[in-house]
Amino acid sequence: MDLYNQFCVAAETSGAVLVDCKGPAEAVGYIVKHSDGGVLVPSSESFKRVDLANQLQKAGATLLEVNRSQAAEAVSGVTSACFAIADTGTLVLESTPEDVRLASTLPTRHFVLLDRSKIVADGLAAVDSLRRMHQRDMRNYIAYITGPSRTADIERVLTIGVHGPKQLHILLLDDWSSDLLEM
Amino acid sequence: MKERSKAYQARIDKALATPKLQQALHQFGDAYLVSREKAFAGLDFEALRREIGVMKDDVRNNHARYMQQFIDNAQAAGATVYQADTAEDANRYIAELAVKQGVKLTVKSKSMASEETHLNKALEAANIRPLETDLGEWILQLSGQRPSHMVMPAIHMFKEEVAYLFSKETGQQEPADIAHLVEVARQQLRQGYLDADMGISGANLAIAETGGIALVTNEGNARLATTLPKTHVALIGIDKLVPTLEDAAKVIRVLPKNATGQALTSYVTWIRGAVPCGDGEKDLHIVLLDNGRSRLAADENCCETSRCIRCGACANVCPVYQSVGGHVFGHIYIGAVGIILTAFFHGFDNAAEIVKACIGCRSCVAVCPANIDLEGIILSLRETIADKEGIGGGKSLVFRKVMRNRKLFHGLLRAASVLQKPVTRGERTIRHLPLFFSPLTEWRTLPAIADKPLRDIWPKQRLNAPAKKVALFGGCANDFLYPELGTDLIEVMNHLNVEVDYPLEQNCCGVPALYSGDKETATELAKQNIDAMLKDNPEAVLTTCPTCTMALQRDFIECLKDDPSWKAKAERLAEITVDAAGYIVNQLEAADQFENLPLAQKVTYHDSCHLKRGAGVWREPRQLIETSGHELVEMDHADRCCGFGGSYSLTGHPEIAKQILGDKLQDIEKTGADCVAMDCPGCMMQLRGGLEKNESKVQVAHTVELLAAGLRAAKAKQS
Repeated sequence: MDLYNQFCVAAETSGAVLVDCKGPAEAVGYIVKHSDGGVLVPSSESFKRVDLANQLQKAGATLLEVNRSQAAEAVSGVTSACFAIADTGTLVLESTPEDVRLASTLPTRHFVLLDRSKIVADGLAAVDSLRRMHQRDMRNYIAYITGPSRTADIERVLTIGVHGPKQLHILLLDDWSSDLLEM
Repeated sequence: MKERSKAYQARIDKALATPKLQQALHQFGDAYLVSREKAFAGLDFEALRREIGVMKDDVRNNHARYMQQFIDNAQAAGATVYQADTAEDANRYIAELAVKQGVKLTVKSKSMASEETHLNKALEAANIRPLETDLGEWILQLSGQRPSHMVMPAIHMFKEEVAYLFSKETGQQEPADIAHLVEVARQQLRQGYLDADMGISGANLAIAETGGIALVTNEGNARLATTLPKTHVALIGIDKLVPTLEDAAKVIRVLPKNATGQALTSYVTWIRGAVPCGDGEKDLHIVLLDNGRSRLAADENCCETSRCIRCGACANVCPVYQSVGGHVFGHIYIGAVGIILTAFFHGFDNAAEIVKACIGCRSCVAVCPANIDLEGIILSLRETIADKEGIGGGKSLVFRKVMRNRKLFHGLLRAASVLQKPVTRGERTIRHLPLFFSPLTEWRTLPAIADKPLRDIWPKQRLNAPAKKVALFGGCANDFLYPELGTDLIEVMNHLNVEVDYPLEQNCCGVPALYSGDKETATELAKQNIDAMLKDNPEAVLTTCPTCTMALQRDFIECLKDDPSWKAKAERLAEITVDAAGYIVNQLEAADQFENLPLAQKVTYHDSCHLKRGAGVWREPRQLIETSGHELVEMDHADRCCGFGGSYSLTGHPEIAKQILGDKLQDIEKTGADCVAMDCPGCMMQLRGGLEKNESKVQVAHTVELLAAGLRAAKAKQS
């Protein structure tokens, strides 16, 4: 199985929803359709290229300012993954800027755009990019995200969505971003 | 009896009287094994854990250098680093920091280190409210309890109890529905992250290369607690240090798989330095906690424990843990590694009872992701504690004065054989014992001491030209309880043209003394046995008892490691010692000599702990059983301990042993087998005792006995 398919199987097993998108417009439509409240869109290089925030707003999304008081009210957060890890179905998010963290921790729904070509085999293969992130910036908050928030703390029964997002939607795109360090 | 022992016994009694607890832990244990196997599919666990062991040993041996690298890098990234020697020191630093910053509320993500230091108490004493946000930890905080598992802290609680606690908190009736209760926790705790001025976390890893930490979590609370409050305090045990990001990745690859059978947790969070926070930057304080870790790392016998990555697997698979839970089998840290950590972090007094609660089955050793010989280390701790506290007058007298003197020991056993007559009424098993001994035979019969021990009935063998000459190390059970097992072994070996000698100077293998902490007696017995067994230079020394096998293969060397000439002899004996089934199958390659014997029946096989996880033998007896024509049916949990554990089931913890035996008997009965086979006289004693007490039809046999019976039947048929 190639890395892309391996990633899809593992991500679905972890409880993520995978969405094939022909282009950013389709991703925008999906996000709007699945957001019945405020949406957080932190800044990112890839978002800037297509002016994603603007597209979302035009499509009818209610954009909120990405700050603490607004973030607490948001239902959706939209981010872009630097890259993904195939064997565990994991997304890697450079979350040092606080707005990325607010958008990926507080809302109940987290939408992540991912370029299909940016997938590495496993946690060890991810170290190269992880190290380069550490070399690029002096301070880091880097998140590996695998599926929605979960707990089994009551009677060992797996329950989705305790403190973090209850839903993780991965929007798969081509020609979205090629740099493994870029959000 | 000491107050401490009384309180401990009361905890055992309470736990054993809670069948729901055992049911929950058994269910988890079973589900865990299945998902763990799936999580590791396609990976070489042995190779992975060896790698982690080597890496963590390197950290231990070069700790100061890696630690300095970590501190330098963390400080360069804007973190404040504090090195706390003790729990009090760490608590004082954090509480003072909170007071100085005017903190009223702190949100905590799960941290065993903060449980270890009782940080919440220290914060409350300084009028600061610690709010636990991990679901399990919050439940425990509301109920005033401590964790009973390192990864699933509230595993001992039920949804009804949680509903009661949550209802008190919200002031309305919360139904005992798990999804609902999880939602209640989400709503109740959410405001806390926004209001708190300080977030407190632990860390799974501290990475020297970057000066960063990594958190491996599922719920998302750690991400909130490290993002929203202005100050982040990370309390980290200094044993969490790893050199590089690759090393961290290797630990993360194994940790969730081994902890709960998850491929990876929902979140792995890498944090380095003072990251952006609101309009400014985070005030990050890293508190590096020693609190006994340096002493542990420097301890000759226990230092391997510094490799631990805190996955909790040693509890998941432990039959004692599954019987009594972590509030009995642990202090703050629970399970096998908890015993060791408790001794170093919380003092020997807190470890003295639980160190005896280990039954020695080595199931923890088999799953440890850092390749720690937990059972071996617990044994050595037992010795340390025995040195401090003594091992009980009667026991110590028996070991020192009786067992070291073989003639006296064997003389007393012979005398006991005569004295027991009124109790046995001439039968081979003791069904009831009088007076205060009666609890011993309440739940299982005990074997009577044989009229004549094996050494007295050892026959002359008439082999014309034996291909091999070997010696049998019988051990006390084979010699004095089950002499017929020895004569059956002769029959089996003679069939293969192997002559078996029984050196008469052999004594007890020393395990009862060693496992009680009396290494001096064990060492003396090791010397006697080495001399006895090597005297006629046999080609192999066979054993029928895997605990004896481990003594000859492992413990004698350990006891004599500081005496070069004795050590060499011990190593020679270890080299030629082999269990009977392993000898037939692997060394003689003669399993086919038992093909299709008569008396075929439905047989299930019980793996003895020390045979499978000590000697690594489990395929061999199964091959012999199947080759000889029996139908082999596997029971569930075939390699789970039977609860014997030598003196564990007789005097140490009979009530826990009874519980573990009960589980095993159920698994055996479920197979519908006519016979349960095994390769250990201790297990035979336990299982036969339990099955007889239950008036079961299932027979108990040593694999050697099954083979011998088949051979005899074949001969009878021919003549």
